[in-house]
Amino acid sequence: MSDGRGKKYTYYPGCSSQGSGKHLDESLRAIAPELGVELETLDDWNCCGASVGHVGGGTLPNLALTGRNLANAQKQGPQDVLTACAACYLNTHAGNEKIKKDVAMRGRVNEALSAGDLSYDEDLQVRHACEVIVNDVGIDKVKDRVTNPLTGLKVAGYVGCQTVRPFANTDGGGNYDTYDDPEFLDDFTEACGAEAVDFDVKTACCGGAVSVISPEKTLHLIKEILDAAKEADADVIATPCPLCQTNVEMYQDAINKEFGTDFAIPVVFYSQLMAVAFGMDAKDDAALGRNTIRSEKLEKMAK
Amino acid sequence: MAQSAPDTARKYDLGFARWVYENVEGGDKLSMCMQCGVCSGSCPIGTEMDHGPRKLFMMIRAGMKEAVLTSNTLWNCTKCYRCVVRCPRGVPVTYILGGLGTKAVEMGYVKTEDTVRFSKAFWWSAKTFGRTDERLVTSRYHFSGGFGEGVKKSLANLKIALGMFKAGRLHLGAPHKVKGTKNLQAILAKAQEIEERAGETER
Ligand code: SF4
Ligand code: SF4
Repeated sequence: MSDGRGKKYTYYPGCSSQGSGKHLDESLRAIAPELGVELETLDDWNCCGASVGHVGGGTLPNLALTGRNLANAQKQGPQDVLTACAACYLNTHAGNEKIKKDVAMRGRVNEALSAGDLSYDEDLQVRHACEVIVNDVGIDKVKDRVTNPLTGLKVAGYVGCQTVRPFANTDGGGNYDTYDDPEFLDDFTEACGAEAVDFDVKTACCGGAVSVISPEKTLHLIKEILDAAKEADADVIATPCPLCQTNVEMYQDAINKEFGTDFAIPVVFYSQLMAVAFGMDAKDDAALGRNTIRSEKLEKMAK
Repeated sequence: MAQSAPDTARKYDLGFARWVYENVEGGDKLSMCMQCGVCSGSCPIGTEMDHGPRKLFMMIRAGMKEAVLTSNTLWNCTKCYRCVVRCPRGVPVTYILGGLGTKAVEMGYVKTEDTVRFSKAFWWSAKTFGRTDERLVTSRYHFSGGFGEGVKKSLANLKIALGMFKAGRLHLGAPHKVKGTKNLQAILAKAQEIEERAGETER
């Protein structure tokens, strides 16, 4: 179906791609060429600092992590940098904008980079995979590629925070959607032939890193998301964010224990839905085996 | 020292607000705050904070440096950025809270807070390998509060870890690393040196 070559991007997978978010990376790499997106992995990419790097390492060392990635990306060419992880996007995009706009900061980052024989002086663009699918690929192309529509699958589109906040609908953020009521995820779902259920907590917070560090403080936040999905009778929750996926999935047992509920709602990535809807392999492409709460309904639809 | 830290001996330090404006990330925009409370009203985790962001900003103006720098607000913010996109005055609330947290750690106000212990474990992995090894960061964090607590926290997480292991999402074996660990460490060391030389983190 695909011509194999498409528009090229420098792909920054991020740390979760080698651990808890493997299925995002695997399914994205599978669907990208089908959508005319060529992903060239960023050479020797490092951690973005996530949401706590500045606390452990200090502001400039944390920004230098992004500086090093951008300097290596610059060596690979002027094409846009693409990432699918919300935290990688937030840090790399925000860091890039800061380096571009703040001359003093650009100087300091480059002074640090020079210790590793690197420099960053080009104006690269850092973009989120979802924004690229909306603006560069187009929903119609996604629709056209669907050979195995997910008819009857009810999907609660859970966008989370950092994919859209604070950069959605800003010049540097690609002007692709709003941060309060984003529609792209439901559009992806419907393009795949599934049903996007009403879900008014789509940009609620899963607790982010606080859920990883001290879940006792945030279980109630995750419960609200699960309550809404159950209320909407969703078969699965779909999300673009690796931390949302893991948090909302892995704490369901703890929530059941704490609140006497009986949640067992599968949480998948939009890219896994697309891989199934594109008729691709359930295991190698859609990575369905990587979900700890499996969706029988989705797996039955998969090839 | 031109950029001296606020006077720690006094409870109310009227120079504190100025110090925040000049030294904390995003602090220069703090003077824009009109105390409307949209940030605190938008915050999903206000119930876990001893002061919401609006109040914390008022406390900065009142010079309550110790109460500000030891506030759990700095650690319980989930970085959802709701306050940032909604603030009618363009105050970068999340960045300011993060910047205050970074300063509070640097200045020794906070040591035992969970987030701080986690952040140190996280940075250790980023610096050593160039990447986050979720398994090592988690166990380092769990055991950073002592052996007993480590065992307790690890056991509480056992079921999750097993599930992740079965799904192939818990990496075991040698940690993933960047090829250029020396290169990365040289850059980070230099960045730290520049930061120390400047005696400040932001402009
Ligand atoms: S929303 Fe903005 S102006 Fe209003 S209290 Fe919060 S920081 Fe101040
Ligand atoms: S970013 Fe932090 S302070 Fe702002 S609304 Fe979210 S949790 Fe509250």
